Amino acid sequence: MSVSPRGYALADLDLSTFDRSTRSTVRVQRPDRYRLLESLPPDVPRIARGSGVSYVAASFGDGAISQELGAFDRLLGFDAEHGLVTVEAGARIGDVARFVLRHGWSLPVVPGHPRASIGGCIAADVHGKNPARDGTFRDYVEALGVFDPLHGWLQASPHENAERFAACHAGFGIAGTIVHATLRLAPAPAAYTIRRLPVANLREARDVLVAHAGAPLLYGWHDGRARHFGRGVIRFGLESHEAAPRAKAGADLPVQVAPWRACAWTPAGITAMNAWIHHRWCRAGSSQVDVASALFPLNDARAYYGGFGPEGFVEAQWLVPYATYDAFVDGLEALVAKHRPAITLVASKLFDGEPEGLAFDGRGIAFAIQLARPRATTQRAFLDALTALALEQRARPNLIKDASLDAATVRQAISGFEGARARLRAFDPQGLHRSDLTRRLDL
Amino acid sequence: MTAIVIGASSGLGRALAEELARNGHALLLVASDVRDLVALAADLRLRHGVAVEPLALDLSREPDPGARVLEALGEDEASALLMPVGVSREDDAFGLGVGAIGQLLAINLHAPLAIAHALLPRLLVARGAIVGFGSIAAVRGRGRNVVYAAAKRGLETFFESLRHRHAPSELRVQFWKPGFLRSNLTFAMKLPMAPAEPSDLAADVVRRLPKGSFDRYAPAKWALVARVLRALPWSLFRRVKA
Repeated sequence: MSVSPRGYALADLDLSTFDRSTRSTVRVQRPDRYRLLESLPPDVPRIARGSGVSYVAASFGDGAISQELGAFDRLLGFDAEHGLVTVEAGARIGDVARFVLRHGWSLPVVPGHPRASIGGCIAADVHGKNPARDGTFRDYVEALGVFDPLHGWLQASPHENAERFAACHAGFGIAGTIVHATLRLAPAPAAYTIRRLPVANLREARDVLVAHAGAPLLYGWHDGRARHFGRGVIRFGLESHEAAPRAKAGADLPVQVAPWRACAWTPAGITAMNAWIHHRWCRAGSSQVDVASALFPLNDARAYYGGFGPEGFVEAQWLVPYATYDAFVDGLEALVAKHRPAITLVASKLFDGEPEGLAFDGRGIAFAIQLARPRATTQRAFLDALTALALEQRARPNLIKDASLDAATVRQAISGFEGARARLRAFDPQGLHRSDLTRRLDL
Repeated sequence: MTAIVIGASSGLGRALAEELARNGHALLLVASDVRDLVALAADLRLRHGVAVEPLALDLSREPDPGARVLEALGEDEASALLMPVGVSREDDAFGLGVGAIGQLLAINLHAPLAIAHALLPRLLVARGAIVGFGSIAAVRGRGRNVVYAAAKRGLETFFESLRHRHAPSELRVQFWKPGFLRSNLTFAMKLPMAPAEPSDLAADVVRRLPKGSFDRYAPAKWALVARVLRALPWSLFRRVKA
């Protein structure tokens, strides 16, 4: 550890992504006061770090100091009449969601991990439980407070520093350190009635997703094994005026789930897991669920993430346009039949937005495909073939999820990539904000 | 009834402010940077519905910090004065200039004494509590943390004087001597013992606020460490590097 004359301490810490795919020993600062946040010399490369639950190394990288914003987790303002909350960027989405829920409001877009920071949600422009209806996180950000090492403290909104405001969303920390944000809320329902509709394959899944595009919660789970590929269940939630029995309040999913000693998601393990899910969930029915539990179902998934073992997992997430959907699904089925990868999960969601910059948005259906043993040859071969298929079918990758992407793939997959990159770097011409993600994708 | 926390913006001070607010105390929070105070005050008001007033005060420069605290307190009764304030320097090893020495003494000793003197009449009226925080570093003088340890030893003596003067029924005088605490500075230090969480110590401090006068180490295992350190013969203690 070292302490500078300006009062900040730096430590060399081993950091890892949530999927355990990327690890690195980097310098970390953990400021707990505003003057320490601004104490790094202005020419020192740095990157903001929230809770560190991204699947990719967006908050750390060689040669950059990770500034952990965990202490900046306070509620700064709450307008219960108009549904606005102002919070510091290190506040965890689950904590903020629970606070506003107690006052009858909800955050319309929340990612899966309840410990994701508000700053991280903005920097990655995350999506929630039904992006086709609710858009992405940027749609609910009213204003930002940003610290720029060269320009100091800035306010940014659609009316003030509007270009920087836009660049902060899916900007992966390049447009400055987001320190606080004002978010627009929506009235919270008393509960959700979650209905389940089994589907036999991914084509049927598309039809069910499109038919329920207006539901506040809408996502699918699908079997990833070759024999049963695509069968699964679409869950859609409808707002209920009757309160649900409050689920037992368990702890939030940890920032790092302790891995089991060995990977449980062998073909036999995956078969057992899918058989259980199929038996438990893949039948028509409905249940009443309280809002907090519906927003963070991953709190019940510790064993799932631990089961990947020390090697972790990788997720590929592609948004497939309607025009090429059938061809993509045909190709995906063929790839799975050929490579027989150890897919632990296929999840589907509907999107209906305009892809801005590097954001994961557009019109179509997104598939998140999680694989165990990401370094195994068969898995790599499948991922490479999946990437080629996705590029061929004009799908769009999710940069904050997929640690296997490289710069060439992203350039090819995201039309207007160079323009988006240039707009981001205009706010950081010296490349002071950098991470493993920005290096890997040459952002 | 208002509890006053001096040094409230981070570490143990912030943890104490949060714990006191959780227990329904109205608060006057004092620290050097108004930005930290405004953020913390807003958070505590929203989460716990208590009244919280911030007071930005640079204790290293303020000539009469007690008067400023009294002024900010206004007509409110002072139920407790907690002073988890302190600053140390890596280079505090007989090489400091007069300015740096003055700053260390001002924050670690002069300001707590001045504020305590100013608030004492109000605390006596309320039959309140005054809570000070020393350091394990002040158990025996070493070649490091020289001025800091001297100031903390002085503060410990002051609290002993308070305890000697006032019966617990009129003023509860509580002096805590924490070991290593997790903080911005210690988060990755190689320490001989694991640092305690400020929130754990804060919960303990607030729980014991009504419980008379005392002088104690926290966590309690540090009492044993202090006893061993004191028992070491000088010839041996001189060789202790930690």
